[in-house]
Amino acid sequence: MANVIEAQDLKLAYNNGKNVIIENATFNIQAGEFIFITGPSGSGKSTLLKSMYGQIKPFSGLLRVGGYDMKKIKKSQLQQLRRNIGIIFQDYQLINEWTVEKNVVLPLIITGYSLDVQKVQAQKLLAHVKLTEQADKYPLELSGGEQQRVGVARALSKNPFLILADEPTGNLDEFSSGVVWDLLENACEQLNATVLVVTHKIPTIFNIPYRHFIIENGGVHEVH
Amino acid sequence: MKSIKEHLMFILPLLAVLISIQFVIVFNRITHSYEEKLKNSYSILVSSKRTLSTPLLRTVSNKIDSVVALDKNYIAREVASDVDRKSVEAILKEMPHFYRVYLTKYLSLEELKMLEQQLKQVKGVISVDIFAESYESRHAMFALIKNSLNIFVVILFIVSLLLIIKQMEVWQLAHKKRMQIMEIFGAPLMLRSGVLFKMAIIDAIIATLLNLTLFLYLQSKTVALTGLKFLENKSVLFHISDLFLWILTSLVIVFISVLFVAFKSSEVVE
Repeated sequence: MANVIEAQDLKLAYNNGKNVIIENATFNIQAGEFIFITGPSGSGKSTLLKSMYGQIKPFSGLLRVGGYDMKKIKKSQLQQLRRNIGIIFQDYQLINEWTVEKNVVLPLIITGYSLDVQKVQAQKLLAHVKLTEQADKYPLELSGGEQQRVGVARALSKNPFLILADEPTGNLDEFSSGVVWDLLENACEQLNATVLVVTHKIPTIFNIPYRHFIIENGGVHEVH
Repeated sequence: MKSIKEHLMFILPLLAVLISIQFVIVFNRITHSYEEKLKNSYSILVSSKRTLSTPLLRTVSNKIDSVVALDKNYIAREVASDVDRKSVEAILKEMPHFYRVYLTKYLSLEELKMLEQQLKQVKGVISVDIFAESYESRHAMFALIKNSLNIFVVILFIVSLLLIIKQMEVWQLAHKKRMQIMEIFGAPLMLRSGVLFKMAIIDAIIATLLNLTLFLYLQSKTVALTGLKFLENKSVLFHISDLFLWILTSLVIVFISVLFVAFKSSEVVE
């Protein structure tokens, strides 16, 4: 199976290498795998995730995502890569001036899909996350759980090969969290997407196989 | 209401920039017109023992437009009106030739003095009178006004640019989150700045149209407002080419402003 993410002796740091977050991380993640990354606050979980969509460049070592070397990746290649990754944030990161429907199809707008395709895909996705009735509302009119479902729908809108989720249930109650976990399980199983979730706590009920990495003291270790 | 305010905050400084640019253009045109008028009504008086001609003096300086000989009989009659005919003939015989030398353009006093020296070197020339004092005084007040206006315009221009930069910061705050989200999902710069470009281009068109209205109005009232009769029949305040300059200036400001906001909103950490 092809590696979707490949890290070798990866070092992530801020301030030109003075503030080291992750060091000597080596791991491979294959297509269709579900990955949990846990660790204490400030351990570098989100930083690792950000490096995977190019928000932070590796300081040294190798990080390859979808075949792109994230240290040498060009701007146009990074845009191309990001268009095929679904990203979910703890604080949803929805565009408040846009309707729910428009938010959901943001990746399609960016790729230049026609309005008709956008409309069809939006309806399908909103039905999938059970938000059909909210299509014309604005994000601030929704509850936190609903907003996160919009975020998940947006992440799924282009059938991404990789979904990165940063504390997707961090701000949600138990019921909404369960809905989000179900959606992510489905994405992994039905779309064969690789799903990488940074979280404080792995859900007690989880229905598909997964791998678990812990980040501690700058190292990334797999739990067997 | 908020939207109108947001537009005005960009339109007004942009309008001020366009007005200041146009003021500089207009004043240069007025100066040119005035200098043209001064030039046409000005000539150097040259007296010479031998006959001078335009081609001859043009070899001395290309700033010389034409040379016109003054009627010696007329001068003799004026200066010796009470003497008899024989004496007048004697005067005419001894009298040098007098010429008015017209210039191709309005010269500075230094250039004029240099030309005076060049003319004095011409064989046969007895004297050259450039009327330096009156020449300088006619232009000095005009130059003073021009320089004062230029300083005012520069200040207006700088203040307007500062206001535009301030508005850019407001835009950045208003649009940063949307642009960053779009960037994270792989939107190219032009797409994530699209809304700003659209807004700024509309504002630039409005500012240009307001400027056009203002200067067309002033154009129709030029003489009445300024009392400068020599500007009559001359479209000093607005030429159609000015419109293109305004559009170009507005678009350059729009592009720089929007790209400034877009780059400031970009968040890739190296």
